[in-house]
Amino acid sequence: MIEGNSSAVGALRSPTGQPLSLTSPAVNPSKGLINEFLEWFGDLATFFGQVVRAAVTPPFEFRELLRQLDEIGSKSLPLVALAGAATGVVLSLEARYSLTRFGAKSLLPAAIVFSVIHETGPIITGLVVSGRVGAGIGAELASMKVTEQIDAIEASAVNPYRLLAAPRILACILMLPLLTLAGDACGLVMGWVAQALVEPLSLHQFINSGFKGASFNDFLPPTFKTAVFGLIIGLIACFQGMRTRGGAAGVGRAATSSVVLSSLFVILADVVLVKLILIFFP
Amino acid sequence: MSRAARLGAFIVATLAILVVGVFIIGGKQYLFSSTYQLRAQFDNVAGLDAGGDVRVGGVHSGTVRNIVLPHKPGEKVTVVVDLGKSTHEIIKQDSIATIETEGLLGNQYLAISFGSAGSGDVRNGDIIASQPPLEMADLLQKTSGILDSSQQAIQNATRATANLDSISAKIDGGHGTAGALVNDKALYSNLEQTTGAMRDTVVQAQAGVADFQENMEAMKHNFFLRGYFKSRGYENSAELAKNEIERLPQGVPTKEFTYSSKQLFDKQDSAKLKNQKSLTAGGEFLANNQFGFAVVVVSAGMEGDTQKDLVLTEARALVVREYLVENFGFDDSQLKTLGMGKQTDTNSDADWGSVRIFIYPAGTEIPPNKQAGISSKTTSAQPTQALTAATPSPQ
Repeated sequence: MIEGNSSAVGALRSPTGQPLSLTSPAVNPSKGLINEFLEWFGDLATFFGQVVRAAVTPPFEFRELLRQLDEIGSKSLPLVALAGAATGVVLSLEARYSLTRFGAKSLLPAAIVFSVIHETGPIITGLVVSGRVGAGIGAELASMKVTEQIDAIEASAVNPYRLLAAPRILACILMLPLLTLAGDACGLVMGWVAQALVEPLSLHQFINSGFKGASFNDFLPPTFKTAVFGLIIGLIACFQGMRTRGGAAGVGRAATSSVVLSSLFVILADVVLVKLILIFFP
Repeated sequence: MSRAARLGAFIVATLAILVVGVFIIGGKQYLFSSTYQLRAQFDNVAGLDAGGDVRVGGVHSGTVRNIVLPHKPGEKVTVVVDLGKSTHEIIKQDSIATIETEGLLGNQYLAISFGSAGSGDVRNGDIIASQPPLEMADLLQKTSGILDSSQQAIQNATRATANLDSISAKIDGGHGTAGALVNDKALYSNLEQTTGAMRDTVVQAQAGVADFQENMEAMKHNFFLRGYFKSRGYENSAELAKNEIERLPQGVPTKEFTYSSKQLFDKQDSAKLKNQKSLTAGGEFLANNQFGFAVVVVSAGMEGDTQKDLVLTEARALVVREYLVENFGFDDSQLKTLGMGKQTDTNSDADWGSVRIFIYPAGTEIPPNKQAGISSKTTSAQPTQALTAATPSPQ
């Protein structure tokens, strides 16, 4: 255990040999913005490496993982379901208006289904979770940091990456696709409801004509790409939380920056992922 | 609810959604129902993709599994399709696959027609017949060609109509020959007068001809001219070919009478009978026996003009026939004549020629009558050949 601890501490050195303590001032204001930005990425990569190493080596923190799965997954479900449902209704109303103009009203179920399972469901879930979970993780870890609890964990020979970061990130990766499925389902059902309120259409008919021509490539890759969103959200939230400094203001900054950055990177990653899915799952 | 239970419920619920989604999409692709495969080959699949619809009678009944490019030029693109088992009853060996487009610019899909009731069932992996897809580009090209040619046709028609218009205007205005014909009443009345005059003339001419015939008949019996006709032996040369046949019939005569012309006739160039009594034997045979028909065949010697001799033989045959018909009782339609003209090998009496009567049994086909108008002009070669071919060799 001591050996593991020392290796974790040893890894907290920057490539220049300077100790990269989470408490040390990471950014010198006199440095340029680009330098700062690159440094941030470098630190993030180092942090990611530490977390991966901590996650794949025993002992595993199953109890903590379970707690985080519940915190991130189950407790996000109402929010995700509501957001998905609202999206479905909006899509139904909007698509109905534009498709009627083009005389393609019969394509409405297909338009809703494809829109929801392809893009709207995954990205809405990603953004909602990044808001709720990113803020939560960022604030929690930041307050632990500023109250020196993380230092205490480290001092008691427990790897904070293994105990704090790895379970949260892993829970995000695992829960995001499941939350996406739930969001998709709510979106489709509410899309159907919004449609059926205007003109009668059974759910069976809606699903039948909506999934006409759909293949697994339309469904599975977009759903499971949200695992990448989960990784981004968990990683950035933990990183921002654990590198914060200062008192209560630092906690607030960490919470804000983890939400902003994780949302931003989720959207940027989506651009790349959509392209990759189009290439590998035509 | 405990934390673990809540988490479990969440995971089970979302995984159930996943499973439902997979089954909905898989069901659309016939992944979970019993299917069979068919193949169809095309030169060009016009953009059909794997995963595309397959419709049987317009109903979505399967999906395109994959599309295989050929390995060599000249071979065809193979489309492999998965079809629901329910279509097995209607797709037969003679079903035809076509690639069609949804709407004018929509997706491509593969349509398979119903087979005929008597045709055999398809088996898994069979190749069915296909029709090349109708491509918009081809269609437009053809349409453009048709439009070009129809434009030309319309131009031609316009020109023709203009011409017609000009012609009819001219006719209507009384210009030109046709115009005068249509518009000038004088021409019509002239024509009417002329026709009336012509009709009168023809009536008069007919009366004149009748009178002339009477006069001629009278002249034949006139004292001065009677001698000519008497020594010639017959009066009316128009009747020479009346009973004459074209050639000797096919077949063997049952009886034959042969006379020398010198015995029978007055002069070498005359058809006047001199020694009628010698014909009695022949006449009595005809009167007393059943027969199909008989022919009086007359030939001339080698002297004299060929054309004249042909007429002479026809005349002699006529005279002999008339004598026999008048003096012996039998059906005169059964007795025919045939003037042979000059013949070399038929008679011992080379200068005068001979008269023969051939009697044929019932059932022998009677040759057609000689054409009246050309009786005296027929070439002499034809009867010659006919005689040599059909006459039984003497002795």
